[in-house]
Amino acid sequence: MKCALASPRVRAAGIEATEFPTLADAMEVYAVPRIVVNGVPQWDGSVPERVFLDRVLAPGFG
Amino acid sequence: MPIFRPEDETRVRELLAAMERPVELVVAHGPEETPLPGARDVDFAAETERVVRELCELSPLLSLRVEQQPDGYERYPAVGVLPEGRDEGIRYYGLPYGYELGSLIGAALEAGRSSSSLSAESLARLEALDHDVAIDVFVTPT
Repeated sequence: MKCALASPRVRAAGIEATEFPTLADAMEVYAVPRIVVNGVPQWDGSVPERVFLDRVLAPGFG
Repeated sequence: MPIFRPEDETRVRELLAAMERPVELVVAHGPEETPLPGARDVDFAAETERVVRELCELSPLLSLRVEQQPDGYERYPAVGVLPEGRDEGIRYYGLPYGYELGSLIGAALEAGRSSSSLSAESLARLEALDHDVAIDVFVTPT
């Protein structure tokens, strides 16, 4: 969300998993927070800011 | 029953007092997915609107707009967080209950800042971004 505020290239959504079970199943949500980048499931759990950016800005997500 | 207990209301007012610019919260209604069994006794759309309406009453810099299936919303109910009314692609999909109410308040606070709370290094990396990135964070209220 901070990333979306800082860049017009980024959009960010929080999604309540139990209200959208079909999507949650498709994104293999078994633990939260579950991070999905450009529609591809990535990892579970919170990470430091720098690690978060390393992951979401990695080549291949664009 | 009100969303905020009196002691919570006081605390949230204090937090929101740090806002430096207006933030518009857009409640988007539309067709909803059938949730998991046992959740059907909650009117997600009505409760989402009630939560956001009560939150907006706690700061003069928060405002509410209610829309039916507006452009740029993928599922319902949804809450858009718009700093100074600008849509910067920030959404919460679902009813912001429990921990997620805290997340929504956090989003309003961040959007209400006049400068980012990210590090200078992070801001530089985001400024150099040359492709679109969509980040979805799946959460639960408990």
